[in-house]
Amino acid sequence: MKNNIRVERAIKNISQGDLAEQVGVSRQTINSIESNKYVPSTVLALKISRVFGKALEDVFMLEEED
Amino acid sequence: MKSRFLFPYWCRYLGWGLAIAHVPISVIGRMNGMFNILDDQSRNLSLFAGEHLFFMCTALLMTLGLFLVAFAKEKIEDEQIWQIRLDSLRWSIYINYLILIISLVFINDTGHILELNLWVPLIFFIIRFRWIIFRLNQSLSREG
Repeated sequence: MKNNIRVERAIKNISQGDLAEQVGVSRQTINSIESNKYVPSTVLALKISRVFGKALEDVFMLEEED
Repeated sequence: MKSRFLFPYWCRYLGWGLAIAHVPISVIGRMNGMFNILDDQSRNLSLFAGEHLFFMCTALLMTLGLFLVAFAKEKIEDEQIWQIRLDSLRWSIYINYLILIISLVFINDTGHILELNLWVPLIFFIIRFRWIIFRLNQSLSREG
């Protein structure tokens, strides 16, 4: 699964730390999700999408191999 | 995220304190003629006295310390930390049983196998867990 959190953050002009604080996780977790090292739970994915005011599938996308 | 069944963050420091405290107690005890009850199981020992008390103050102090270190919460205990925790726990159980099976086959000393079994899962868990968190922090500082 890939995501465009980095792009959405740039549009909203918020840092990894700000996003982490808003969704209640550590900065390391946001960084791991952005670099596709960690796949978040559905709850966390929904929370992140809500921060950006977007639908889940606008932020997270399935890849061929998923 | 709710993190049940974990000790508060400060327990990590208490745990290191207990694990380190076991070293001087062990050294002083041995200098005063105490022995590890697992070294000589043929002797009859009275409970909560002499060597048994010494065993509790050393082996169990160390085990309790490592247990607290392993299962104390992180500053921010989120779902990624949980995943790393579970993964490290799985690996430590694999390694422990591998060592246990090998030692049961090749070593005829159940006392020391018990001692090994007491520490290996905790020590391996702590090393693996801290190593993954260290690498996460490193990649975070690399990206700024």
